[in-house]
Amino acid sequence: MSLAKSKTPTRRALAERMLEAGSERDDFVVFESDIGYSTYSYLFGDAYPERYFNLGIAELGTMATAAGMAAEGRPAIVCGYGVFLSMRALEAVRSFICYPRMNVKIFSSHGGVTAAVDGVTHQATEDIAFMATLPGMTVLAPCDSASARASFDLALGIHGPVFVRLMRDPLSELYPEGTEFSIGGCHTPRKGDDITIVSYGDLVFQALEAAELLATEGINAEVIDMYSIKPWDRQALRLSLERTKALLVVENHQRKNGLGYELAAWCMREGVSVPFAQLGLDDTFAESGSYPLTIQKFGMDAASIAAAARKLAAAKY
Amino acid sequence: MTASTHVSSDERIRSLEGHARDIRRAIVSMVHTAQSGHCGGSLSAADVVSALYFDLMNIDPSKPRMPGRDRFVLSKGHACPVLYAALALRGYFPVEELSTLRKNSSRLQGHPVSTYLPGVDATAGSLGLGFAQAVGMALEGRMLKADYHVYALLGDGELNEGVVWEAASTAAKFGLEKLVAIVDRNNLQNDGKADDIMPMEPIDKKFEAFNWRVLTMDGHDMAEVLATLEASNEPTGRPTCIIARTVKGKGVSFMENKREWHGKAPSDDEYSMACKDLEGGCT
Ligand SMILES: Cc1ncc(C[n+]2csc(CCOP(=O)(O)OP(=O)(O)O)c2C)c(N)n1
Ligand SMILES: [Mg+2]
Repeated sequence: MSLAKSKTPTRRALAERMLEAGSERDDFVVFESDIGYSTYSYLFGDAYPERYFNLGIAELGTMATAAGMAAEGRPAIVCGYGVFLSMRALEAVRSFICYPRMNVKIFSSHGGVTAAVDGVTHQATEDIAFMATLPGMTVLAPCDSASARASFDLALGIHGPVFVRLMRDPLSELYPEGTEFSIGGCHTPRKGDDITIVSYGDLVFQALEAAELLATEGINAEVIDMYSIKPWDRQALRLSLERTKALLVVENHQRKNGLGYELAAWCMREGVSVPFAQLGLDDTFAESGSYPLTIQKFGMDAASIAAAARKLAAAKY
Repeated sequence: MTASTHVSSDERIRSLEGHARDIRRAIVSMVHTAQSGHCGGSLSAADVVSALYFDLMNIDPSKPRMPGRDRFVLSKGHACPVLYAALALRGYFPVEELSTLRKNSSRLQGHPVSTYLPGVDATAGSLGLGFAQAVGMALEGRMLKADYHVYALLGDGELNEGVVWEAASTAAKFGLEKLVAIVDRNNLQNDGKADDIMPMEPIDKKFEAFNWRVLTMDGHDMAEVLATLEASNEPTGRPTCIIARTVKGKGVSFMENKREWHGKAPSDDEYSMACKDLEGGCT
Protein backbone atom coordinates (compact mmCIF):
# COMPACT_ATOMS: atom_id res chain seq x y z
CA MET A 1 0.00 0.00 0.00
CA SER A 2 1.57 3.29 -0.97
CA LEU A 3 -0.07 6.43 0.34
CA ALA A 4 -0.36 9.78 -1.37
CA LYS A 5 2.06 12.39 -0.08
CA SER A 6 0.23 15.16 1.70
CA LYS A 7 0.67 18.83 0.83
CA THR A 8 -1.36 20.03 3.78
CA PRO A 9 -0.24 19.64 7.38
CA THR A 10 -3.04 18.73 9.79
CA ARG A 11 -2.74 22.16 11.44
CA ARG A 12 -3.71 23.71 8.12
CA ALA A 13 -6.36 21.17 7.13
CA LEU A 14 -8.22 21.80 10.37
CA ALA A 15 -7.86 25.58 10.04
CA GLU A 16 -9.28 25.42 6.50
CA ARG A 17 -12.28 23.51 7.81
CA MET A 18 -12.62 26.14 10.57
CA LEU A 19 -12.73 28.84 7.91
CA GLU A 20 -15.53 27.01 6.04
CA ALA A 21 -17.43 26.47 9.27
CA GLY A 22 -17.31 30.20 9.90
CA SER A 23 -20.03 30.67 7.32
CA GLU A 24 -22.03 27.62 8.39
CA ARG A 25 -22.47 28.80 11.95
CA ASP A 26 -21.99 32.23 13.39
CA ASP A 27 -21.72 31.40 17.08
CA PHE A 28 -18.10 30.39 17.72
CA VAL A 29 -15.11 32.67 18.19
CA VAL A 30 -11.38 31.97 17.75
CA PHE A 31 -8.56 33.00 20.08
CA GLU A 32 -4.93 33.19 19.00
CA SER A 33 -1.68 34.08 20.79
CA ASP A 34 0.48 35.56 18.04
CA ILE A 35 1.19 32.45 16.02
CA GLY A 36 -1.77 32.72 13.69
CA TYR A 37 0.44 32.35 10.63
CA SER A 38 1.69 29.10 12.05
CA THR A 39 -1.62 27.63 13.27
CA TYR A 40 -3.28 29.06 10.13
CA SER A 41 -5.95 30.59 12.35
CA TYR A 42 -5.29 33.79 10.39
CA LEU A 43 -7.41 32.28 7.59
CA PHE A 44 -10.41 32.56 9.88
CA GLY A 45 -9.23 35.89 11.28
CA ASP A 46 -8.97 37.49 7.84
CA ALA A 47 -12.48 36.34 6.93
CA TYR A 48 -14.14 37.02 10.29
CA PRO A 49 -12.15 39.74 12.02
CA GLU A 50 -14.96 40.45 14.49
CA ARG A 51 -14.91 36.83 15.68
CA TYR A 52 -11.11 36.55 15.95
CA PHE A 53 -9.12 37.66 18.98
CA ASN A 54 -5.34 37.77 18.84
CA LEU A 55 -4.24 38.45 22.41
CA GLY A 56 -0.52 38.52 21.71
CA ILE A 57 2.08 36.24 23.24
CA ALA A 58 0.07 35.42 26.34
CA GLU A 59 -1.13 31.82 26.33
CA LEU A 60 -2.29 31.53 29.93
CA GLY A 61 -4.28 34.76 29.80
CA THR A 62 -5.68 33.80 26.41
CA MET A 63 -6.91 30.45 27.74
CA ALA A 64 -8.59 32.06 30.75
CA THR A 65 -10.13 34.76 28.56
CA ALA A 66 -11.58 32.05 26.31
CA ALA A 67 -12.94 30.35 29.44
CA GLY A 68 -14.63 33.62 30.41
CA MET A 69 -16.27 33.99 27.03
CA ALA A 70 -17.36 30.35 27.15
CA ALA A 71 -18.84 31.01 30.59
CA GLU A 72 -21.10 33.50 28.84
CA GLY A 73 -22.30 30.66 26.65
CA ARG A 74 -20.23 31.22 23.55
CA PRO A 75 -18.27 28.32 22.04
CA ALA A 76 -14.62 29.38 22.10
CA ILE A 77 -11.68 27.98 20.13
CA VAL A 78 -8.07 28.50 21.22
CA CYS A 79 -5.27 27.90 18.70
CA GLY A 80 -1.59 27.61 19.50
CA TYR A 81 1.44 25.39 19.96
CA GLY A 82 1.09 22.28 22.07
CA VAL A 83 3.89 23.12 24.48
CA PHE A 84 2.39 26.44 25.48
CA LEU A 85 -1.27 25.38 25.47
CA SER A 86 -0.69 22.19 27.42
CA MET A 87 1.81 23.61 29.91
CA ARG A 88 1.74 27.37 30.40
CA ALA A 89 -2.03 27.46 30.03
CA LEU A 90 -2.60 24.18 31.88
CA GLU A 91 -4.16 25.54 35.05
CA ALA A 92 -6.72 27.54 33.09
CA VAL A 93 -7.54 24.43 31.08
CA ARG A 94 -7.95 22.31 34.18
CA SER A 95 -9.66 24.52 36.70
CA PHE A 96 -11.63 26.94 34.57
CA ILE A 97 -12.43 24.90 31.48
CA CYS A 98 -12.56 21.20 32.40
CA TYR A 99 -13.80 21.59 35.98
CA PRO A 100 -16.82 23.77 35.14
CA ARG A 101 -17.22 21.94 31.77
CA MET A 102 -16.78 24.97 29.57
CA ASN A 103 -17.32 24.71 25.85
CA VAL A 104 -13.74 25.42 24.79
CA LYS A 105 -11.89 23.69 21.96
CA ILE A 106 -8.11 23.66 21.94
CA PHE A 107 -6.45 23.21 18.55
CA SER A 108 -2.90 22.44 19.39
CA SER A 109 -0.16 22.35 16.77
CA HIS A 110 3.40 20.97 16.80
CA GLY A 111 2.49 17.78 18.68
CA GLY A 112 5.29 15.39 19.60
CA VAL A 113 8.67 15.99 17.99
CA THR A 114 7.03 17.08 14.76
CA ALA A 115 8.45 20.54 15.58
CA ALA A 116 11.78 18.76 15.40
CA VAL A 117 14.07 21.56 14.22
CA ASP A 118 12.88 24.01 16.87
CA GLY A 119 14.09 21.80 19.69
CA VAL A 120 12.71 20.73 23.04
CA THR A 121 11.15 24.05 24.09
CA HIS A 122 8.83 23.73 21.12
CA GLN A 123 8.15 19.97 21.16
CA ALA A 124 4.92 18.94 22.89
CA THR A 125 5.92 15.51 24.15
CA GLU A 126 3.87 15.44 27.35
CA ASP A 127 0.68 17.06 26.05
CA ILE A 128 -1.36 13.86 25.83
CA ALA A 129 -0.45 13.01 29.43
CA PHE A 130 -1.53 16.41 30.72
CA MET A 131 -4.69 16.67 28.67
CA ALA A 132 -5.94 13.10 28.91
CA THR A 133 -5.49 13.25 32.70
CA LEU A 134 -8.02 16.07 33.02
CA PRO A 135 -11.54 14.92 33.91
CA GLY A 136 -14.03 15.76 31.19
CA MET A 137 -11.45 16.43 28.50
CA THR A 138 -11.83 14.78 25.09
CA VAL A 139 -8.54 14.22 23.23
CA LEU A 140 -8.22 13.68 19.48
CA ALA A 141 -5.11 13.20 17.33
CA PRO A 142 -5.77 13.09 13.59
CA CYS A 143 -3.04 11.97 11.19
CA ASP A 144 -4.12 13.41 7.84
CA SER A 145 -6.30 16.03 6.18
CA ALA A 146 -9.59 14.13 6.23
CA SER A 147 -9.24 13.20 9.89
CA ALA A 148 -8.10 16.72 10.82
CA ARG A 149 -11.11 18.25 9.10
CA ALA A 150 -13.37 15.71 10.79
CA SER A 151 -11.78 16.52 14.15
CA PHE A 152 -12.97 20.09 13.84
CA ASP A 153 -16.56 18.93 13.42
CA LEU A 154 -16.30 16.32 16.16
CA ALA A 155 -14.94 18.96 18.54
CA LEU A 156 -17.62 21.53 17.74
CA GLY A 157 -20.28 18.83 17.71
CA ILE A 158 -20.16 18.19 21.45
CA HIS A 159 -20.49 20.51 24.41
CA GLY A 160 -17.39 20.67 26.58
CA PRO A 161 -13.63 20.78 26.33
CA VAL A 162 -11.81 19.08 23.45
CA PHE A 163 -8.07 19.02 22.76
CA VAL A 164 -6.98 18.26 19.20
CA ARG A 165 -3.32 17.46 18.64
CA LEU A 166 -2.04 18.64 15.27
CA MET A 167 1.26 18.46 13.43
CA ARG A 168 3.65 20.89 11.86
CA ASP A 169 4.58 19.10 8.65
CA PRO A 170 2.51 17.44 5.92
CA LEU A 171 3.08 13.67 5.83
CA SER A 172 0.69 11.39 3.90
CA GLU A 173 -3.01 11.16 3.15
CA LEU A 174 -4.63 8.01 4.54
CA TYR A 175 -8.40 8.54 4.53
CA PRO A 176 -10.61 9.53 1.62
CA GLU A 177 -12.57 12.73 2.26
CA GLY A 178 -15.92 11.79 3.74
CA THR A 179 -14.57 8.93 5.87
CA GLU A 180 -16.56 8.64 9.11
CA PHE A 181 -14.85 9.44 12.38
CA SER A 182 -16.34 9.45 15.85
CA ILE A 183 -15.43 10.38 19.38
CA GLY A 184 -14.41 7.11 20.98
CA GLY A 185 -13.84 5.48 17.59
CA CYS A 186 -10.77 4.25 15.78
CA HIS A 187 -9.80 2.97 12.36
CA THR A 188 -7.86 -0.10 11.39
CA PRO A 189 -6.05 0.80 8.19
CA ARG A 190 -4.33 -2.56 8.09
CA LYS A 191 -5.68 -5.92 9.20
CA GLY A 192 -3.45 -8.65 10.53
CA ASP A 193 -3.46 -11.59 12.94
CA ASP A 194 0.01 -11.67 14.45
CA ILE A 195 0.34 -8.46 16.45
CA THR A 196 -1.64 -5.29 17.11
CA ILE A 197 0.21 -2.01 16.64
CA VAL A 198 -1.68 0.95 18.09
CA SER A 199 -0.62 4.47 17.20
CA TYR A 200 -1.98 7.93 16.46
CA GLY A 201 -0.97 11.01 14.51
CA ASP A 202 2.25 11.00 12.52
CA LEU A 203 3.44 7.62 13.70
CA VAL A 204 0.47 5.83 12.16
CA PHE A 205 2.42 6.16 8.91
CA GLN A 206 5.55 4.69 10.46
CA ALA A 207 3.46 1.83 11.86
CA LEU A 208 2.00 1.15 8.42
CA GLU A 209 5.46 1.15 6.89
CA ALA A 210 6.66 -1.22 9.60
CA ALA A 211 3.72 -3.50 8.87
CA GLU A 212 4.81 -3.70 5.23
CA LEU A 213 8.31 -4.66 6.29
CA LEU A 214 6.97 -7.28 8.68
CA ALA A 215 4.69 -8.73 6.00
CA THR A 216 7.74 -9.61 3.91
CA GLU A 217 8.91 -11.71 6.86
CA GLY A 218 5.55 -13.42 7.28
CA ILE A 219 4.40 -11.38 10.26
CA ASN A 220 0.97 -9.90 9.69
CA ALA A 221 0.57 -6.82 11.83
CA GLU A 222 -2.72 -5.12 12.48
CA VAL A 223 -2.43 -1.33 12.67
CA ILE A 224 -5.00 0.61 14.68
CA ASP A 225 -5.17 4.37 14.32
CA MET A 226 -6.45 5.39 17.76
CA TYR A 227 -7.24 8.94 16.63
CA SER A 228 -9.67 9.28 19.54
CA ILE A 229 -7.34 9.03 22.51
CA LYS A 230 -9.90 9.92 25.12
CA PRO A 231 -12.32 8.28 25.10
CA TRP A 232 -10.76 5.39 23.20
CA ASP A 233 -12.25 2.32 21.54
CA ARG A 234 -12.06 -0.52 24.06
CA GLN A 235 -14.17 -2.87 21.97
CA ALA A 236 -11.90 -2.54 18.95
CA LEU A 237 -8.78 -3.23 21.00
CA ARG A 238 -10.37 -6.22 22.74
CA LEU A 239 -11.40 -7.82 19.46
CA SER A 240 -8.04 -7.16 17.89
CA LEU A 241 -6.08 -8.61 20.81
CA GLU A 242 -8.29 -11.70 20.89
CA ARG A 243 -6.90 -12.49 17.47
CA THR A 244 -3.34 -11.15 17.60
CA LYS A 245 -2.48 -11.69 21.28
CA ALA A 246 0.33 -9.09 21.27
CA LEU A 247 0.23 -5.32 21.72
CA LEU A 248 2.73 -2.66 20.66
CA VAL A 249 1.84 0.98 21.33
CA VAL A 250 3.78 3.59 19.37
CA GLU A 251 3.43 7.27 20.15
CA ASN A 252 5.25 10.51 19.49
CA HIS A 253 5.16 11.32 23.20
CA GLN A 254 6.77 10.28 26.45
CA ARG A 255 6.11 6.62 27.13
CA LYS A 256 5.13 7.57 30.64
CA ASN A 257 1.49 8.51 31.01
CA GLY A 258 0.75 8.34 27.32
CA LEU A 259 -1.73 6.10 25.51
CA GLY A 260 0.55 3.11 26.12
CA TYR A 261 0.17 3.40 29.90
CA GLU A 262 -3.59 3.78 29.48
CA LEU A 263 -3.91 0.66 27.32
CA ALA A 264 -1.58 -1.40 29.50
CA ALA A 265 -3.54 -0.50 32.63
CA TRP A 266 -6.77 -1.43 30.88
CA CYS A 267 -5.34 -4.80 29.83
CA MET A 268 -4.35 -5.52 33.43
CA ARG A 269 -7.75 -4.51 34.77
CA GLU A 270 -9.59 -6.57 32.18
CA GLY A 271 -7.34 -9.59 32.55
CA VAL A 272 -6.20 -9.32 28.94
CA SER A 273 -2.78 -10.86 29.24
CA VAL A 274 -0.64 -10.36 26.13
CA PRO A 275 3.00 -9.53 25.50
CA PHE A 276 3.22 -5.74 25.49
CA ALA A 277 5.76 -3.11 24.45
CA GLN A 278 5.85 0.63 23.97
CA LEU A 279 7.79 2.96 21.72
CA GLY A 280 8.11 6.67 22.30
CA LEU A 281 10.42 8.89 24.32
CA ASP A 282 11.86 6.74 27.06
CA ASP A 283 11.97 9.22 29.96
CA THR A 284 14.16 11.57 27.95
CA PHE A 285 13.90 14.84 26.06
CA ALA A 286 14.40 14.76 22.31
CA GLU A 287 16.49 17.36 20.46
CA SER A 288 16.65 19.61 17.43
CA GLY A 289 17.03 17.90 14.11
CA SER A 290 15.20 16.75 11.04
CA TYR A 291 11.94 14.91 11.69
CA PRO A 292 13.01 11.60 10.05
CA LEU A 293 16.36 11.51 11.85
CA THR A 294 14.81 12.51 15.16
CA ILE A 295 12.16 9.78 15.17
CA GLN A 296 14.86 7.35 14.11
CA LYS A 297 17.23 8.40 16.87
CA PHE A 298 14.52 8.13 19.50
CA GLY A 299 13.25 4.79 18.23
CA MET A 300 9.88 5.72 16.77
CA ASP A 301 10.50 5.11 13.07
CA ALA A 302 9.33 2.20 10.96
CA ALA A 303 12.52 0.18 11.48
CA SER A 304 12.31 0.51 15.28
CA ILE A 305 8.64 -0.41 15.21
CA ALA A 306 9.34 -3.48 13.07
CA ALA A 307 12.14 -4.55 15.42
CA ALA A 308 9.94 -4.22 18.49
CA ALA A 309 7.08 -6.02 16.75
CA ARG A 310 9.35 -8.94 15.75
CA LYS A 311 10.38 -9.42 19.36
CA LEU A 312 6.81 -9.30 20.62
CA ALA A 313 5.54 -11.68 17.99
CA ALA A 314 8.27 -14.11 18.99
CA ALA A 315 7.42 -13.69 22.68
CA LYS A 316 3.94 -15.08 22.06
CA TYR A 317 5.17 -18.62 21.63
CA MET B 1 38.02 42.83 31.55
CA THR B 2 36.80 45.00 28.73
CA ALA B 3 38.87 44.67 25.60
CA SER B 4 38.80 48.40 24.95
CA THR B 5 40.60 50.16 27.75
CA HIS B 6 43.38 51.55 25.63
CA VAL B 7 41.78 52.42 22.33
CA SER B 8 40.25 55.69 21.26
CA SER B 9 36.50 55.84 21.26
CA ASP B 10 36.37 56.07 17.47
CA GLU B 11 38.43 52.95 17.00
CA ARG B 12 36.35 51.22 19.61
CA ILE B 13 33.15 52.00 17.76
CA ARG B 14 34.55 50.98 14.34
CA SER B 15 35.76 47.75 15.77
CA LEU B 16 32.38 46.91 17.33
CA GLU B 17 30.63 47.79 14.09
CA GLY B 18 32.95 45.33 12.38
CA HIS B 19 32.07 42.61 14.87
CA ALA B 20 28.37 43.36 14.37
CA ARG B 21 28.84 42.87 10.61
CA ASP B 22 30.59 39.56 11.19
CA ILE B 23 27.77 38.49 13.48
CA ARG B 24 25.17 39.40 10.85
CA ARG B 25 27.01 37.44 8.17
CA ALA B 26 27.22 34.44 10.44
CA ILE B 27 23.50 34.67 11.29
CA VAL B 28 22.40 34.66 7.67
CA SER B 29 24.78 31.94 6.69
CA MET B 30 23.92 29.63 9.58
CA VAL B 31 20.15 29.98 9.03
CA HIS B 32 20.68 29.44 5.31
CA THR B 33 22.66 26.26 5.99
CA ALA B 34 20.09 25.00 8.50
CA GLN B 35 17.23 26.06 6.21
CA SER B 36 15.40 26.88 9.40
CA GLY B 37 15.65 29.53 12.10
CA HIS B 38 14.93 33.16 12.86
CA CYS B 39 16.76 35.86 10.88
CA GLY B 40 14.74 39.00 11.62
CA GLY B 41 15.02 39.15 15.41
CA SER B 42 18.63 37.97 15.30
CA LEU B 43 19.67 40.73 12.93
CA SER B 44 17.88 43.44 14.94
CA ALA B 45 19.91 42.52 18.02
CA ALA B 46 23.33 42.20 16.39
CA ASP B 47 24.67 45.61 17.40
CA VAL B 48 23.68 45.29 21.05
CA VAL B 49 25.08 41.78 21.24
CA SER B 50 28.32 42.93 19.58
CA ALA B 51 28.77 45.71 22.15
CA LEU B 52 28.11 43.34 25.03
CA TYR B 53 30.27 40.41 23.93
CA PHE B 54 33.14 42.33 22.33
CA ASP B 55 33.38 45.18 24.78
CA LEU B 56 31.27 45.65 27.87
CA MET B 57 30.79 42.27 29.43
CA ASN B 58 33.36 40.96 31.81
CA ILE B 59 33.79 37.50 30.33
CA ASP B 60 36.50 35.00 29.52
CA PRO B 61 35.72 32.56 26.71
CA SER B 62 38.24 30.10 28.17
CA LYS B 63 36.30 30.12 31.46
CA PRO B 64 32.66 30.14 30.42
CA ARG B 65 31.41 29.40 33.96
CA MET B 66 33.71 31.92 35.69
CA PRO B 67 31.76 32.89 38.85
CA GLY B 68 32.24 36.66 38.61
CA ARG B 69 31.42 36.92 34.90
CA ASP B 70 28.64 39.09 33.57
CA ARG B 71 25.63 37.07 32.47
CA PHE B 72 23.64 37.38 29.27
CA VAL B 73 20.16 35.90 29.06
CA LEU B 74 18.65 35.75 25.61
CA SER B 75 15.06 35.72 26.78
CA LYS B 76 13.90 35.94 23.17
CA GLY B 77 15.54 32.57 22.64
CA HIS B 78 14.38 32.18 19.04
CA ALA B 79 17.05 34.77 18.15
CA CYS B 80 19.81 32.36 19.22
CA PRO B 81 21.69 32.67 15.90
CA VAL B 82 22.85 36.10 17.14
CA LEU B 83 24.07 34.57 20.39
CA TYR B 84 25.70 31.53 18.77
CA ALA B 85 27.46 33.81 16.26
CA ALA B 86 28.80 36.10 18.99
CA LEU B 87 29.97 33.18 21.13
CA ALA B 88 31.75 31.46 18.25
CA LEU B 89 33.38 34.65 16.99
CA ARG B 90 34.44 35.49 20.55
CA GLY B 91 36.12 32.10 20.84
CA TYR B 92 33.81 30.01 23.03
CA PHE B 93 33.69 27.25 20.43
CA PRO B 94 34.87 26.76 16.83
CA VAL B 95 33.21 28.96 14.23
CA GLU B 96 32.78 25.87 12.00
CA GLU B 97 30.33 24.50 14.53
CA LEU B 98 27.85 27.21 13.52
CA SER B 99 26.97 25.13 10.48
CA THR B 100 25.48 22.46 12.75
CA LEU B 101 22.65 24.75 13.88
CA ARG B 102 19.42 22.78 14.44
CA LYS B 103 20.97 19.52 13.26
CA ASN B 104 20.72 16.26 15.20
CA SER B 105 23.30 15.89 17.99
CA SER B 106 24.37 19.54 17.65
CA ARG B 107 25.10 21.68 20.69
CA LEU B 108 23.43 24.48 18.74
CA GLN B 109 19.84 23.59 19.51
CA GLY B 110 16.95 25.41 17.85
CA HIS B 111 16.59 27.35 21.08
CA PRO B 112 19.52 27.78 23.48
CA VAL B 113 20.20 25.28 26.26
CA SER B 114 22.56 26.46 28.96
CA THR B 115 24.22 23.18 29.80
CA TYR B 116 24.85 22.17 26.19
CA LEU B 117 27.01 24.95 24.84
CA PRO B 118 29.76 26.90 26.63
CA GLY B 119 28.79 30.53 27.06
CA VAL B 120 25.02 30.05 27.07
CA ASP B 121 23.96 31.30 30.50
CA ALA B 122 20.27 30.40 30.41
CA THR B 123 17.92 28.03 28.64
CA ALA B 124 15.28 29.91 26.71
CA GLY B 125 12.73 29.63 23.92
CA SER B 126 9.47 29.96 25.78
CA LEU B 127 9.01 33.72 25.81
CA GLY B 128 8.93 35.54 29.13
CA LEU B 129 10.59 32.80 31.13
CA GLY B 130 14.15 33.73 30.22
CA PHE B 131 13.65 37.12 31.79
CA ALA B 132 12.40 35.60 35.05
CA GLN B 133 15.53 33.43 35.14
CA ALA B 134 17.65 36.56 34.65
CA VAL B 135 15.95 38.02 37.72
CA GLY B 136 16.86 34.86 39.64
CA MET B 137 20.50 35.19 38.56
CA ALA B 138 20.57 38.82 39.67
CA LEU B 139 18.95 37.89 42.97
CA GLU B 140 21.73 35.34 43.55
CA GLY B 141 24.31 38.04 42.73
CA ARG B 142 22.70 40.34 45.26
CA MET B 143 22.71 37.64 47.92
CA LEU B 144 26.43 36.99 47.30
CA LYS B 145 27.15 40.74 47.10
CA ALA B 146 28.80 39.89 43.77
CA ASP B 147 29.75 42.49 41.20
CA TYR B 148 28.43 40.85 38.10
CA HIS B 149 25.74 42.32 35.87
CA VAL B 150 22.93 40.36 34.31
CA TYR B 151 21.83 41.52 30.86
CA ALA B 152 18.53 40.18 29.57
CA LEU B 153 17.45 40.71 25.98
CA LEU B 154 13.69 40.69 25.42
CA GLY B 155 11.54 41.07 22.33
CA ASP B 156 8.87 43.76 22.26
CA GLY B 157 6.27 41.10 21.51
CA GLU B 158 7.62 39.15 24.45
CA LEU B 159 6.42 41.98 26.69
CA ASN B 160 2.88 40.63 26.12
CA GLU B 161 3.61 37.74 28.48
CA GLY B 162 2.28 38.33 32.00
CA VAL B 163 5.34 36.69 33.54
CA VAL B 164 7.48 39.56 32.22
CA TRP B 165 5.65 41.88 34.56
CA GLU B 166 5.83 39.46 37.48
CA ALA B 167 9.59 39.35 36.97
CA ALA B 168 9.74 43.15 36.64
CA SER B 169 7.96 43.53 39.99
CA THR B 170 10.35 41.10 41.66
CA ALA B 171 13.41 42.92 40.32
CA ALA B 172 12.13 46.24 41.65
CA LYS B 173 11.13 44.80 45.03
CA PHE B 174 14.66 43.56 45.62
CA GLY B 175 16.34 46.59 44.07
CA LEU B 176 18.29 44.49 41.57
CA GLU B 177 20.44 47.35 40.30
CA LYS B 178 22.80 45.03 38.43
CA LEU B 179 19.99 43.75 36.26
CA VAL B 180 19.68 45.35 32.83
CA ALA B 181 16.72 44.44 30.62
CA ILE B 182 17.15 45.42 26.98
CA VAL B 183 13.97 45.52 24.94
CA ASP B 184 14.55 44.94 21.22
CA ARG B 185 11.90 47.36 20.10
CA ASN B 186 11.61 46.37 16.43
CA ASN B 187 7.83 46.75 16.40
CA LEU B 188 7.22 43.35 14.84
CA GLN B 189 6.24 40.04 16.35
CA ASN B 190 5.07 36.82 14.71
CA ASP B 191 1.66 37.88 13.42
CA GLY B 192 2.31 41.51 12.56
CA LYS B 193 3.24 44.86 14.01
CA ALA B 194 3.71 44.70 17.74
CA ASP B 195 1.64 47.88 18.13
CA ASP B 196 -1.29 46.15 16.39
CA ILE B 197 -1.10 42.65 17.83
CA MET B 198 -1.04 43.85 21.43
CA PRO B 199 -0.36 47.53 22.07
CA MET B 200 2.21 47.83 24.88
CA GLU B 201 3.07 51.53 24.67
CA PRO B 202 4.02 53.46 26.65
CA ILE B 203 6.69 50.86 27.41
CA ASP B 204 8.96 53.39 29.14
CA LYS B 205 6.19 54.58 31.46
CA LYS B 206 5.19 50.99 32.22
CA PHE B 207 8.70 50.10 33.39
CA GLU B 208 8.94 53.39 35.30
CA ALA B 209 5.66 52.58 37.02
CA PHE B 210 7.21 49.23 37.98
CA ASN B 211 10.00 51.22 39.66
CA TRP B 212 12.66 50.65 37.03
CA ARG B 213 15.05 53.23 35.63
CA VAL B 214 14.44 53.55 31.89
CA LEU B 215 16.94 54.53 29.17
CA THR B 216 16.33 54.60 25.45
CA MET B 217 18.71 54.34 22.51
CA ASP B 218 18.98 53.80 18.80
CA GLY B 219 19.88 50.13 18.84
CA HIS B 220 21.90 50.40 15.63
CA ASP B 221 23.99 53.47 16.50
CA MET B 222 27.06 51.91 18.08
CA ALA B 223 28.15 55.08 19.88
CA GLU B 224 24.74 55.39 21.45
CA VAL B 225 24.57 51.68 22.23
CA LEU B 226 27.90 51.83 24.04
CA ALA B 227 27.10 54.99 25.96
CA THR B 228 23.69 53.71 27.05
CA LEU B 229 24.96 50.29 28.11
CA GLU B 230 27.69 52.00 30.10
CA ALA B 231 25.17 54.30 31.73
CA SER B 232 23.07 51.28 32.68
CA ASN B 233 25.87 50.16 34.99
CA GLU B 234 25.65 53.21 37.25
CA PRO B 235 24.15 52.04 40.52
CA THR B 236 20.78 53.59 41.31
CA GLY B 237 19.22 51.05 43.62
CA ARG B 238 16.82 50.11 40.83
CA PRO B 239 16.96 47.74 37.87
CA THR B 240 17.44 49.36 34.46
CA CYS B 241 15.43 48.87 31.30
CA ILE B 242 16.93 49.98 28.00
CA ILE B 243 14.51 50.39 25.15
CA ALA B 244 16.53 49.79 21.98
CA ARG B 245 14.79 51.19 18.91
CA THR B 246 15.68 48.70 16.20
CA VAL B 247 14.75 47.46 12.75
CA LYS B 248 13.83 43.80 12.42
CA GLY B 249 16.06 42.20 9.78
CA LYS B 250 18.53 45.11 10.02
CA GLY B 251 21.32 44.94 7.45
CA VAL B 252 19.59 42.77 4.86
CA SER B 253 17.47 45.15 2.80
CA PHE B 254 14.73 42.73 1.78
CA MET B 255 14.34 41.41 5.31
CA GLU B 256 14.06 44.80 6.98
CA ASN B 257 10.71 45.51 8.62
CA LYS B 258 9.13 42.44 7.06
CA ARG B 259 6.90 40.19 9.14
CA GLU B 260 7.63 37.30 6.77
CA TRP B 261 11.27 37.25 7.80
CA HIS B 262 10.54 36.52 11.45
CA GLY B 263 11.13 32.80 11.16
CA LYS B 264 12.06 32.00 7.61
CA ALA B 265 15.29 30.75 6.05
CA PRO B 266 16.71 32.37 2.92
CA SER B 267 16.78 30.38 -0.33
CA ASP B 268 20.10 30.16 -2.20
CA ASP B 269 19.23 33.23 -4.28
CA GLU B 270 18.08 35.19 -1.27
CA TYR B 271 21.24 34.16 0.51
CA SER B 272 23.44 35.61 -2.24
CA MET B 273 21.39 38.80 -2.19
CA ALA B 274 21.76 39.03 1.57
CA CYS B 275 25.52 38.53 1.33
CA LYS B 276 25.73 41.44 -1.11
CA ASP B 277 23.89 43.62 1.39
CA LEU B 278 26.21 42.63 4.21
CA GLU B 279 29.41 44.44 3.29
CA GLY B 280 32.29 42.12 2.66
CA GLY B 281 30.08 39.19 1.62
CA CYS B 282 29.55 35.95 3.48
CA THR B 283 32.01 33.20 4.16
C1 LIG C 1 5.66 31.43 25.30
C2 LIG C 1 5.89 31.49 23.82
N1 LIG C 1 4.83 31.70 23.02
C3 LIG C 1 4.99 31.73 21.69
C4 LIG C 1 6.22 31.55 21.13
C5 LIG C 1 6.37 31.53 19.62
N2 LIG C 1 7.08 32.72 19.14
C6 LIG C 1 8.40 32.68 18.87
S1 LIG C 1 9.00 34.17 18.45
C7 LIG C 1 7.49 34.92 18.58
C8 LIG C 1 7.34 36.39 18.31
C9 LIG C 1 8.31 37.17 19.12
O1 LIG C 1 8.24 38.53 18.88
P1 LIG C 1 9.25 39.48 19.63
O2 LIG C 1 9.26 39.17 21.08
O3 LIG C 1 8.90 40.87 19.26
O4 LIG C 1 10.65 39.03 19.06
P2 LIG C 1 11.49 39.61 17.82
O5 LIG C 1 10.64 40.57 17.07
O6 LIG C 1 12.65 40.30 18.43
O7 LIG C 1 11.89 38.44 17.01
C10 LIG C 1 6.53 33.97 18.97
C11 LIG C 1 5.11 34.28 19.20
C12 LIG C 1 7.30 31.33 22.01
N3 LIG C 1 8.54 31.11 21.56
N4 LIG C 1 7.11 31.33 23.34
MG1 LIG D 1 9.73 42.27 18.00
